[in-house]
Amino acid sequence: MKKIVLLSSAAISVLTAAAYKLPEQSVNSMALSAAYVAHTTQADTAYFNPANMAFMGEKQYLDGAVTLINLPSIEYYNIAKTKEENIIIPSLHYVSAPMGDFRWGVSMVVPGGLSKRWDEQPGKLFAQEFTLENVELNPVFSYKINDQFAIGGGLRVVYSSGVVKSDGRDGTPYPIARDMKGDTFEFGYNLALTYRPTEDINVGVTYRSNIDLEEEGKANLYLGSIGTQYDASVTVPLPAALNIAVSKTWDKTFTLEFGYERTFWSTYKQLDFQYSQPVTNPILKQAFDNPIPKHWKDTNTYKIGATMVMDKITVMMGFAIDETPIPDETLSFELPDSDAKVFSMGFRYQQTENLSWGAAFLYDAKEARSIAKGVSDNPVINANGASFSGGGAYLTTLGLSYEF
Amino acid sequence: MKIKFAYLFIAVSAFVLMGCGGADSLDQPDKEEVTGGEVVVDFDAQTMRNVLVSKEAIPADYNKPVYGYKAYKIPYETTDEEGNRIEVSGLMVVPTGVPEAMKQIGFSLVSDSHGTIFANAEAPTVIAETTNSPDGAPVILTALSGFVTLQADYIGFGDSLGHYHPYLLKSSSAATTVDFINAARAFAANNGIPLNGQLFVTGYSEGGHVAMAALQTLENEGEPVAFAAPMAGPYMLDRMGQGVLASNALPVPSFIADVAYAFAVRYGVNVDTLVKEPYASALPGLFDGSKARPEIDAQLTHVTTDLFTADAINRLTSLDNTYWFTQTLQLNSTAYWGPQTPTRLVQCMGDDVIPFAMSTGTASVMRDNFGAADIGVIPVEVAITGDVNTSIRLGHADCATPAYGVVSKIFADVRKATIGY
Repeated sequence: MKKIVLLSSAAISVLTAAAYKLPEQSVNSMALSAAYVAHTTQADTAYFNPANMAFMGEKQYLDGAVTLINLPSIEYYNIAKTKEENIIIPSLHYVSAPMGDFRWGVSMVVPGGLSKRWDEQPGKLFAQEFTLENVELNPVFSYKINDQFAIGGGLRVVYSSGVVKSDGRDGTPYPIARDMKGDTFEFGYNLALTYRPTEDINVGVTYRSNIDLEEEGKANLYLGSIGTQYDASVTVPLPAALNIAVSKTWDKTFTLEFGYERTFWSTYKQLDFQYSQPVTNPILKQAFDNPIPKHWKDTNTYKIGATMVMDKITVMMGFAIDETPIPDETLSFELPDSDAKVFSMGFRYQQTENLSWGAAFLYDAKEARSIAKGVSDNPVINANGASFSGGGAYLTTLGLSYEF
Repeated sequence: MKIKFAYLFIAVSAFVLMGCGGADSLDQPDKEEVTGGEVVVDFDAQTMRNVLVSKEAIPADYNKPVYGYKAYKIPYETTDEEGNRIEVSGLMVVPTGVPEAMKQIGFSLVSDSHGTIFANAEAPTVIAETTNSPDGAPVILTALSGFVTLQADYIGFGDSLGHYHPYLLKSSSAATTVDFINAARAFAANNGIPLNGQLFVTGYSEGGHVAMAALQTLENEGEPVAFAAPMAGPYMLDRMGQGVLASNALPVPSFIADVAYAFAVRYGVNVDTLVKEPYASALPGLFDGSKARPEIDAQLTHVTTDLFTADAINRLTSLDNTYWFTQTLQLNSTAYWGPQTPTRLVQCMGDDVIPFAMSTGTASVMRDNFGAADIGVIPVEVAITGDVNTSIRLGHADCATPAYGVVSKIFADVRKATIGY
């Protein structure tokens, strides 16, 4: 039962980064729209730029946050819409005291995920539920080369589980259904570099490796009411991401950070379900066994964040422009993603010398997306075109930071 | 204190990740338990309607009932030509989502015998098991007309794959069909499927011949049949063989080659007395259930005199009554008796495989020579147009679907008049 609670809390959907990647993992990162790589200040430094741990104070740092995510429905024309989702996601970060020029830290975060649930046709035929849940444990280290340079890196341990359900048995001429659950542990790495040419300028570069999430489990395939169970697997990538950021601080009170993120979604070329034995039913084979082309594109995200420190209160604002990796040809109901603009704000209050708390709010404004008839690999969208509207996300984060 | 915080963090993280291990198990698909068979297709009524509309089998505004389609594979025993008991299989298709009153009265049975197949993959239970989808005549008879449809796989297919198929051999064709009717009735009784005792008999092409053979057995056993409507069957095998071998070319050589092979095996005659080499030696491999008709035809010749021996051609075309092949073709014909069941021979006038005259000739022989009680011929083109002068002509393959539509309506009318729905 505990496992179910934890995994449910990890479920997220189309969030601030296009597709199913979630960069914000703390109060500060949420308030700054993830423009939080060059100039990081809390224990979440372990996650956003571990090289920066080298320049933190002599204490240990702990940071925890809880994010409530509200995902409004996405509408397909006026025919069908996804369920509205409300999800809670935790994050936890720790940075140790320095050990000479070395330092270590660890983060537990939810780096990405997806949950789309359509109760109505035609969405239900393709994505009655399409959920990907990820939890990452990310132990990291930093090494201070000198007062200007530091490097860092770490190991990514990702637990991922997925649910794929589709059902065309009510209201479509395709009486087929699939019910699949799978999970996996996978590993990756991350690297970081910080250069501080002056005391008030930080340049940060981070890289997170691609992790192929090979979800292994069981799949029931149905035609009408007749079902067969298979051992099954499917691989989706948690893509590599390169962040380059620069920050400038004025009078130790106002900091502006510009960030660029390149997310390497092009590794996602197809969604190919594998089964333990051949799917001999020709209808099920065509629907559920043949690889589904994806051909996603690498994306660019541009971010800007501003931080103002005022006595006991720190105020933060952020803005980002985010591209979708999904081309018109392969957009489908499991993830009707679109380009987005991200607006965020938040604050942190220094309650005591060691304890601060804060809150942040982020609004992810997705653009409506239309697809003309005849261009999609999805048969329904190809025949009817598509107009997806609504969607986006509202994220509210509350967090505590403690240093000792 | 500081060390404890670090340990606490790691412990919490490890707990979370350990707790993640293993996806929630996925239950096996629900499988309906039945006695003496298994469910192989189950489409509810709405799904059937959606599928039929999408395939343009019915219009979107179709205002008659469409029933669900639930098919069971039923294993049973029958007797082959040599008198051996063997295990065979058949498909029973039951309408679902029917009105309660219909259930109370019970379903009428239609014994439908399928046309010629060569590949095991084409057998009714194999199709159903492979695709889990409705297929063929039961769509018309069950989903659109509310009958329970029975289709035996025939010996040589389904569960009896490996046995030679006794193609057009009367005794085992009848036994396979009649035994399946009995097995299906027992299955229905064991599984709460309500039957009203009414039985109709039909079948297309080879199935027309099989249906007629089964009708004769049923009558001999005193089993009442409400109505019979064999379709496009080669009832007079001797005449059929004579006509085929008299032609210079064989459009579909697999048909007559399979007749020669099955009869030679059945009557212990070397097949090379009928079929020339190298074809004679190839026949066991061609008719083992692994190949479909196009593949078989490609390995045979279409030239009659290249495929059949001169002796076979000469003696059969002259209907030499001393010739074993002529004798056994006559013996296995299903035209030479007089059904007492109301019977209509349904066929397209444009049939390009079995001449339409086969039906009219059979009806005449049955009525005039053997005292058939109520027999007639229904030209499908006339039935579907209502025009006795129609110029439409449908070939053997194209005729099957409309022919089943005609038969389905006849049976439904009889059911309405006798059963009440």
